[in-house]
Amino acid sequence: MKRGRFSKIVFIILLLGGAISAGIVYSQQGEQIPAPPEPAKEEKPAEEAKAQTPQIVTDCFESRLPQEDGKSYTKVTRVENTVQQYGWPNVKCSQTTGGVLWWGDPFDGTAPMGDMPVLANDDYSKGDYAKEEAVVKPRQSQLMYFNLDPNKNCALCHDGKIVPFPKDKKPRKLAAHQDVVADSMQLMHGRAAFWCLDCHNHTSRKTNALIDHWGNEISFNQPQKLCGKCHGEVYIDWRLGIHGKRIGSWVSGGKKRWWVCTECHNPHTVQVNRFQPIKPETAPVLPKGMKNANHEQSQHDDGHDTTPKGAAGH
Amino acid sequence: MSEEIKETGKEDASGNETRRNFLKDMGTAALAGAAALMTDSDDAEAKSTWAEWFQKNWRLMTDEEKKDAIARLETRYSEEYGKKVTVDGSPAMKSVLFGYALNIQKCIGCRRCVYACVKENNQSRHDTEIQWIRVIRMEKQNFLPDDMNKGYPPSAKEPFGIQVGGNAHKPAGVTLEGQHYYQPELVPEKDAFYFPIQCMQCEKPPCVKVCPVRTTYRDPDGIVVIDYNWCIGCRMCMAACPYWARRFNWGDPNLPKEEMNPNTHYLGNRPRMRGVVEKCTFCIQRSRKGRYTACVEVCPVGARKFGNLFDPNSEVRQILERKKVFRLKAELNTYPKFFYFID
Ligand code: HEC
Ligand code: HEC
Ligand code: HEC
Ligand code: HEC
Repeated sequence: MKRGRFSKIVFIILLLGGAISAGIVYSQQGEQIPAPPEPAKEEKPAEEAKAQTPQIVTDCFESRLPQEDGKSYTKVTRVENTVQQYGWPNVKCSQTTGGVLWWGDPFDGTAPMGDMPVLANDDYSKGDYAKEEAVVKPRQSQLMYFNLDPNKNCALCHDGKIVPFPKDKKPRKLAAHQDVVADSMQLMHGRAAFWCLDCHNHTSRKTNALIDHWGNEISFNQPQKLCGKCHGEVYIDWRLGIHGKRIGSWVSGGKKRWWVCTECHNPHTVQVNRFQPIKPETAPVLPKGMKNANHEQSQHDDGHDTTPKGAAGH
Repeated sequence: MSEEIKETGKEDASGNETRRNFLKDMGTAALAGAAALMTDSDDAEAKSTWAEWFQKNWRLMTDEEKKDAIARLETRYSEEYGKKVTVDGSPAMKSVLFGYALNIQKCIGCRRCVYACVKENNQSRHDTEIQWIRVIRMEKQNFLPDDMNKGYPPSAKEPFGIQVGGNAHKPAGVTLEGQHYYQPELVPEKDAFYFPIQCMQCEKPPCVKVCPVRTTYRDPDGIVVIDYNWCIGCRMCMAACPYWARRFNWGDPNLPKEEMNPNTHYLGNRPRMRGVVEKCTFCIQRSRKGRYTACVEVCPVGARKFGNLFDPNSEVRQILERKKVFRLKAELNTYPKFFYFID
């Protein structure tokens, strides 16, 4: 009750103030930024606008980078006006890191996930994913060796003649693919418990290039069917939307794009990095008057730093 | 609770009547003069600014008044930003209570969410730079039995005053110092973890309690919103918020035309003016239309999860059921709808 009346009074004061000065004038004595004096304000935007002329970055990556420099494993290309209703591009990319910073069209470049594998014991996943529209980004287009020849794919070399089919699963030194697996005798996945051919099909290297340990052939586009066989718990979480990532509609039953395992994990290096480190976006600007952020640096590396903690902080 | 709102609503509505009468009494002539002054230029902005002075708080507007307010804003923004801007006014969806969960183990501190949010929600880009999400870097430390038994340091100059665990020689566990301005070459770093904070959409929001004009309030879907037109800029809410979630427009926001997101909501990302407070609204312009928030969609590691707490199949509910979950400063009884979890 009291508050209601108070708001009325405030309104009236504001109204009078507004009618007189035709604008709100706030006292700006805060610790941040006092309004710049008028003339400076006139020049600054023009200058800054020039300095900040947005250079539109059109090539960006989503999550996964290669181990070494090179083409990203989750590349997206910005296309203008894909969402015509708002004049949005499909994505906006970071100028500093090349990472995706914003999704206009969450289903850009996707295809149906296909038959979602159903768990034998469906008790813990009540969600009926069969009814949900699920799409993924096909992995094949992102691979390097796969696209050396658009028709033969891996079979360009792995046709049984140029490179003979392997005789057994025993680890051996390889004559190629050092860029993918640096040392085939030390595969950085599974602590030496398995090898290439526990995941890669021995003979077929075209459409179903992957294979699980029950002999089911799997496409590069559905790695979850492979990874899920060994990483059951994570796979269940992934199915529930807890592990990994989905974008689009949050509504149960709504259309979603799912990230498959290899969009985040490099299957050949998970032991080095579960997730390949990336560059961070720029830090926020320091508040006015703060020269640097040294006050928040840690002072406990046994270096007996006696400088006082920054007064301006926090 | 709802009854209280209704009642005060009535009161306020009648209060509006009084305001009208007061205005009448002030003399139509004087008013007309002022109006003429303001609408002298044929500027859509001036006109709508004038109309906005007579606008009620969003909560108390009739559907008709809301429509007018929206139409007014759409015209003004479209002219100002040189593109077709839509202002949505849709109310909370039925049987929806929004919840958010963040996997603190997965977060790598890349700050993509920060900028996704800025792009989506039309924040001021520079002078003053406004960001609704803060990512705080925290250092991991070890508990070493040797250090524990050392006792207090010999010198008073030792800088380790406040710490969590450990002893006076060495901080252990988590040091209390959070770092906002970290900028390493690559993230994640070995000895750090990252702690993003933003509006927690509390069930009992301290900011709402202190607002003297009741322009910030909690909608039935759990989103704490602000009617910017009624914000008087007193910043009491900023002082009251235990989570450092609210930001103030010290100057006119700097929002370049080409970067302006034309999909807006009245209570969310429509362009703000100088002197008002703003904060995260779970991307109300998206979430009320069924779309994930911008920060969820952009997180490269999938640490951010969003959904309907009333839906047992939603990922947030599944997380509450299956993971170890905590809320920030739970002891304050603010009941955040933003959960942190670990696997
Ligand atoms: C440019 C030719 C070339 C292409 C294209 C190629 N590979 Fe290979 N690959 C080789 C060579 C050479 C070896 C080494 C064979 C050896 O040392 O015994 C090899 C070995 C392998 C092995 C080790 C086991 C085996 O079969 O001998 C795997 C697994 C493998 N390649 C997978 C792939 C996959 C998957 C693709 C497609 C994405 C691919 N390769 C495309 C040349 C190629
Ligand atoms: C844990 C299962 C697994 C193991 C073990 C494995 N790979 Fe792979 N490999 C994959 C998957 C999955 C992909 C597809 C990656 C993607 O989608 O980014 C792949 C892709 C490849 C490619 C194609 C990369 C490109 O950019 O075209 C090559 C070549 C390859 N693997 C070689 C090998 C070799 C050689 C070994 C053994 C030293 C090996 N892999 C072991 C799962 C595995
Ligand atoms: C043949 C079984 C098998 C398959 C198939 C498999 N993994 Fe693994 N994975 C393992 C084992 C074993 C480990 C080692 C676990 C450990 O170190 O405790 C491992 C470790 C990992 C780790 C690191 C976990 C840790 O504890 O450090 C990640 C991430 C991972 N795998 C992802 C994947 C992905 C993604 C795929 C599919 C492309 C996959 N795995 C396929 C068996 C498998
Ligand atoms: C959106 C990115 C993303 C996707 C998609 C994803 N993961 Fe992960 N995964 C991560 C991150 C990040 C971690 C944590 C890394 C760390 O702890 O350093 C992780 C951790 C893991 C681990 C080890 C830790 C654990 O929780 O046991 C395994 C195993 C794993 N993922 C397997 C998978 C499998 C299998 C899939 C597909 C079904 C998958 N991931 C999909 C990002 C992803």
